[in-house]
Amino acid sequence: MLKLLRAESYKLRKKLRSWLGPLLIMLLVLIAFPLSIDISQFDLNKFYFSIIVVSLLMTSFVATEGMFEEDFEDGSLEQEFLVEKDFYKIVLSKIMIYVCMIGIPIGFIGSAFSFANGVDAEEFPKVFLLLTLSNLLLFNLFAFGNALSINKGAMLGILSTLPLTLPVIILLGRAVRTIQFGEGFFEILILMIGISLLVTAIMPLIISAALKTHLD
Amino acid sequence: MQLISANSIGHSINEKKLFHDLSFSIFSGNSLHIKGGNGCGKSTLLRIILGITTPSKGSIEYHNQDAVISYLGHKNAIKNYLTPIENLELLFNNSQLSVALRWLDTLGMSKVVDELSANLSFGQQKKLALIRVLAQPSDLIILDEPFVGLDNATRDLLSNFLKEKVLDGASLILTSHIEPLIDCDVLELGGYNA
Repeated sequence: MLKLLRAESYKLRKKLRSWLGPLLIMLLVLIAFPLSIDISQFDLNKFYFSIIVVSLLMTSFVATEGMFEEDFEDGSLEQEFLVEKDFYKIVLSKIMIYVCMIGIPIGFIGSAFSFANGVDAEEFPKVFLLLTLSNLLLFNLFAFGNALSINKGAMLGILSTLPLTLPVIILLGRAVRTIQFGEGFFEILILMIGISLLVTAIMPLIISAALKTHLD
Repeated sequence: MQLISANSIGHSINEKKLFHDLSFSIFSGNSLHIKGGNGCGKSTLLRIILGITTPSKGSIEYHNQDAVISYLGHKNAIKNYLTPIENLELLFNNSQLSVALRWLDTLGMSKVVDELSANLSFGQQKKLALIRVLAQPSDLIILDEPFVGLDNATRDLLSNFLKEKVLDGASLILTSHIEPLIDCDVLELGGYNA
C-alpha cells in the first residue's frame, strides 16, 4: 500500500496541471466572484458560502477528470492489476493521494475565504474540516463516475454522478449553518466523518469492479 | 514444475468466436509461441492467461500463486510526462533500479535519459517498456509482439535474453509475426469461424 501511495503521489506531483489547475480555478472563482458584482449592494454574508461550495464542486469535478483514464489508456492499469490482483488498494491509494494533494489545499483555500461569509477566524478549522470531508466524499463519487466511462471519455461518467453529489452539498450547507449559529456542529461533524469512512471503504470496491469490467 | 494450465477455454467477442476448446499447460523452462493472423485472438488469449480477461468458456488454473509474471502488451505503460529514468524510478525499487539503469545503457538509451518520454521515438518507447521485463526477475514472461518497432540489434539482444531466461527455468509465452529465434512450442490460432 505504501508503495502504491508513493507511486501515486509521485505521478500526481509530476503532473503540475492536474493538481495546480484545480487549486487555481478555486482561487480564481473565489476572488473573481466578489469583483464581478457590486459588493456594496449585496450582503456577501448571506450567499458567499454557496460560491465556496459551488467552486468546491467544480474543482473536485475538474481534479478527478483524469484519475483513471490516463492509466487505462497507457496500459499502467493492467500492469498494476497483474501485481495487485485487484484494484481496491490502487483505487483507495489514488483517492487518498488526490485528497491529500488537492482536497486538503482546496479545503484550506475555502476555509480561508469563509471570512467573507462572516465566519470568525477561530472557526476556520471547523470549516476546513467540513470542506475536506466533503472533498473526500466528492472525490469518491467522481472517481466512480470516472471509472464508469473510462473508455468513452471520463467527463461523461463524472457528469452522470453529479446528482449523487447533491446530498453532500445539502449536508455541507447544514453543517456550515451550525457553525454560523454556534450549535450542533459536532453532531453533524461526526455524521460526516461516519459517511466519509463508509463511502471511502465501499466506493473503491465498486470502482474496482467497474475498472475490471472495462479491462475485460 | 507446472505453472499454468488452460482447460477447454473458448472466447467470443460480440458473438464472434475467436477460439474454442483450447487446452494446454505451461511448465517451468517451457516457451510457447502463439501464432495466427490478425484478429484471431492472440492478444486476447494472453490476457486470458494473465487473468485480465475472463474467458467465455473454460478456465485457467494457476499452480504457483507466487510466480512473478512480467508482461508487455500492446500498450507500453509509459508515462509520457516523465523522463525514462523517472519512469523506471516509478517501477523499480532501489536494488532493481540499478539493473534497470544498466539496461537503459545497454539498449542505447543513455543519450535520451533527460528527454520526456513523449518525445522519444516509437522504438525508444518500446525499449523503455521492455526494461520492465528485462530488469525484473520473473518466473513467467508474457510478451505480445515484442519485436515490433525494434532495430535488428535489439531484436537479437532480446532473443538472446529470452533464450537465457528460458534456460534458467523461466517460462515464456509470446505472440509474434516475426520469428523469435527461440525454440518454442507453437500454438496456432485462427480459422475458427463457427
